[in-house]
Amino acid sequence: MPTPIPSPDLVIAAPEALDSATRGFWAETWVRFKRRRLALLALAYVCFLAIVAIFAPAIAGTKPVVCKYKGHLYFPALGYLNSKWENPVFYTDRFRRIYPENLKAKDPESWAIWPLVYQDPYRRVREGEWPDQPGNPTGVEGVPSQYNRLGTDQSGKDVFAQMVHGTRIAMLVGFVSMGISAVIGIGIGATAGYFGGWIDTLLSRVIELVMCIPALVLILALIAILEKTTIWHLMVILGATGWTGIARLTRAEFLKLKHIDYVLAARALGVGRFRIMFRHVLRNALAPIVVPITFGIASAIITESALSFLGFGADPPNPSWGTLLNAGRTTIEQTWWLVLFPGLAIFFTVLAYNLIGEGLQEATDPRLREAGK
Amino acid sequence: MMQRISFRLLVLCIAIMMGCGKSKSVTPSADSVESSSRDAAAVDSATVAEEVLLEPFDPPKLEELEASVTWVDQRVVDTLELRRQAEANTKSLVTVDEALKLRNDSPEANKKILSALGRLPDSDADVDWNATLVRHLNGDAKSMNPLMANSTSEFEVHGLMAFGVFSFDWEMKPLAIADVTVSWQTSSDGMYDKVVLRDDLTWSDGKPITAHDVVFSFQTIMNPKVPVPAVRAGTDELRWVAAYDNQTLVYFHKKPSPTNIWNINFPVIPKHVYEESVKEDPTMANSEYHIKLEQKPVCGGPYIITKRTQGQEIVLERRDDWFKKDGKLVRPLRHFKEIRCRVIEDPNTALLALRAGEIEETILNPEQWITEQTNNDEFYAKNTKATGTQWVEFHFCWNCDTPYFSDKRVRQAMSYAFDHREMLDKLFYGLYEPAMGPFHASAWMAPKQGLKPYQQDLDKAEDLLDEAGWEDSDGDGIRDKTIGGKKINFEFTLLSSTTPNSLKVSELLKQNLDQIGVVCNVKPTEFTVLQQLEIEHKFHAAMGGWGTGTDPDTTINIFGTGENRNFGSYSNKEVDALYEAGRKEFDPVKRAAIYAKIHEIVYEDQVYTWLFWRNSFYGFNKALRGYKFSPRGPYNYGPGFDSLWKAVP
Repeated sequence: MPTPIPSPDLVIAAPEALDSATRGFWAETWVRFKRRRLALLALAYVCFLAIVAIFAPAIAGTKPVVCKYKGHLYFPALGYLNSKWENPVFYTDRFRRIYPENLKAKDPESWAIWPLVYQDPYRRVREGEWPDQPGNPTGVEGVPSQYNRLGTDQSGKDVFAQMVHGTRIAMLVGFVSMGISAVIGIGIGATAGYFGGWIDTLLSRVIELVMCIPALVLILALIAILEKTTIWHLMVILGATGWTGIARLTRAEFLKLKHIDYVLAARALGVGRFRIMFRHVLRNALAPIVVPITFGIASAIITESALSFLGFGADPPNPSWGTLLNAGRTTIEQTWWLVLFPGLAIFFTVLAYNLIGEGLQEATDPRLREAGK
Repeated sequence: MMQRISFRLLVLCIAIMMGCGKSKSVTPSADSVESSSRDAAAVDSATVAEEVLLEPFDPPKLEELEASVTWVDQRVVDTLELRRQAEANTKSLVTVDEALKLRNDSPEANKKILSALGRLPDSDADVDWNATLVRHLNGDAKSMNPLMANSTSEFEVHGLMAFGVFSFDWEMKPLAIADVTVSWQTSSDGMYDKVVLRDDLTWSDGKPITAHDVVFSFQTIMNPKVPVPAVRAGTDELRWVAAYDNQTLVYFHKKPSPTNIWNINFPVIPKHVYEESVKEDPTMANSEYHIKLEQKPVCGGPYIITKRTQGQEIVLERRDDWFKKDGKLVRPLRHFKEIRCRVIEDPNTALLALRAGEIEETILNPEQWITEQTNNDEFYAKNTKATGTQWVEFHFCWNCDTPYFSDKRVRQAMSYAFDHREMLDKLFYGLYEPAMGPFHASAWMAPKQGLKPYQQDLDKAEDLLDEAGWEDSDGDGIRDKTIGGKKINFEFTLLSSTTPNSLKVSELLKQNLDQIGVVCNVKPTEFTVLQQLEIEHKFHAAMGGWGTGTDPDTTINIFGTGENRNFGSYSNKEVDALYEAGRKEFDPVKRAAIYAKIHEIVYEDQVYTWLFWRNSFYGFNKALRGYKFSPRGPYNYGPGFDSLWKAVP
């Protein structure tokens, strides 16, 4: 017997969920998502990465997390996030940002709380900089050791420190570029789907047009023009070109949902267009859209790594995983650690996002849900 | 670093091969180029059609000329013989067998290997005259027309198959090649050069090579419609070239100068082949006739191209008709019967091919030299390696037109801020020596004493910046200066080629400057773009390099006011005057003093922050003998490549 496709609201009332009739759609999704071990593990991994990204300066760095210097409290490690946040007092007076030596020398009263690992993602740690720690080896000598857990690259920069700080780039690239994509994609898709008519025709053509623009070529052109390319430029380009899939899905959902009774009811009550679009329709359309966003994050991370690998990423020094891979390429026969660790990091991160996406898909799509049983 | 050419099509390069090419080469990017166009700007000027490069000239009759000038004999040399004489006084430190067992792990070992394996054969019986050599080219040769030569690969191939009159030895002293000339004389007033060619020379199609071919080549080079990329520079200093009969040539100079001897050295193409076709197709590349010639060029040198597979291989064969007349040897036979030039662009692939014995020589980069790849049994099973000092220096070029670097003190501060030791010891494994100015310390034109390499001294750097007015007045951690009422932060962009070692050095400077409140943004730039920005002076600072010319005067277009490769717009009247003086001075000692003075001035001014001299590293198959390193590497001089040979197995 043909059954109408249940709207998400109806699903909640399905028999197997009766014991928790009060659960909303997302709570229900979560319950279902939780049942998928791998997806849950992947989510935990991404959360772990997020924590690493946020606390990177406290995990590996050569700047104190907190220090008291000449009567004031400072947080120099914030300089890793934005160089302006490192107080100028540490540049002037020939301090030169060499903390362990100069803090004591210039103010014997000073104290500092150091990051867990004294290694810098941007420079080689020299001999005698930190008590009982030798200078980082260079060339192909940087095998993983007790001082450099994951080894060093050819110019002596610690791989662990670079990977920890590179996590921030990977996380940011994924979230920011897909954030931009989501906003543009949902906005355009919703408008096209809801209004229909010539607006739909026009916006659909725009979507098709943007689909034809290769992001890679745009990025290369941008790098040629810009005086200084940062990771933010890459994210904007990736975001500004990657929204078409989302827009199409949103449009389709809106086309479908706008004829459903509750929308009609809302209209009859005189609710404004935008309120209907974003408060009533979008909520119910969101589930299928979240899935491509998750996959999009994974592909954005891959793209950024690939760009850095090819040397077209953000301007150096840029401790991206892809940059590390690229450094390992030239001496691949000797420096396995330069390829293995960042390679694994990229692999697992992309895998994790894909698993999460798949989990979400199956948890939100009632058809797949039935099939999964 | 130092793959030879990574982007072959993008790279403008020129290197001198014996008998063809010009006296100067350049290395604008740290890794990608071996050496580059003598004058990149000349490429553009060549395309301006209306330009007249050569004013008509009516050469005097030979009798009149002979009556009015006194001729001074110049060297006509068989370079192999010259080399043999030089070797006669030296002894090899070890036997060949011992040398083949040696590992090149120290300067002593290198010396031993070169002294034993780098020798010419004791007698002709030692040479395998039917040997094939497989050479490595790091990019395909685009054109087989010697006038169109532009990349190192092209110069390497043309050096084997093209006809040339002049060359120079490993001390970069000019000479006329005995294979092709009877005599070479220069007039005592320095205005004329007279050359008599041999009468037993033939092109590969059997037609004789005459003085008229040389004149035709000169006129073609100076034809503004012909887009000659590299060889016009220098040649355009000539007033005229005249042929008085099939063998007698006179070169007319515009003014007497010690650099005239380099200007007469240009490649020669067959007149009977190109005379008509150039009129129809001045590009010498587009017409069907020229395309066919590219596949099967008419060769005037000791080798002929027998097969050319684009992007893969060029096969050359020894020309018996070049060496033998009526079955009798008229010139010393070259050592290889066949030379196959394999094109492999990626240096790692090239090394694998060398280890597998698929190629028999290749240039190595420092990573390859220092690591297991060339130190294990697998490498030494079939190969050995050798190194030599090469006069290729690298530097940061400061643009004096910018508010940052117009002040000498700022440029000096940059040099003091840079951690030279870290670069030399850690980034380059101690394989390179520090550069202190444009001329290598062992060159005749370099100052004999008194220059010290810069060492990092951040205190001095900060003092100099303070003195120059760059102080952090607003307490934001970045130095600034008020210029014309506007406050400018000391934040500049450093252009660097995209190759890893160039970037590493640039990043090191960034780190160093970061400590003294100067922001340096490193921008990896593709090589051709980098070159264009430099030519247009649209940059703050750039990392680059120059290969040595044969004469110090060639550096005038780097340091002379307004010259086309003076990218940093440096201007110093004293330097300009010294270059002028150098062109007029014929006494070698006084001339050396002039260039030493220039060296001292530009070093004092820190026009560049000089970084290091890049040595050459080569891997050779154990079957090869006879390699000797010159300041221009093991091949690019006379006899250079011709001295290689294989022993009878």
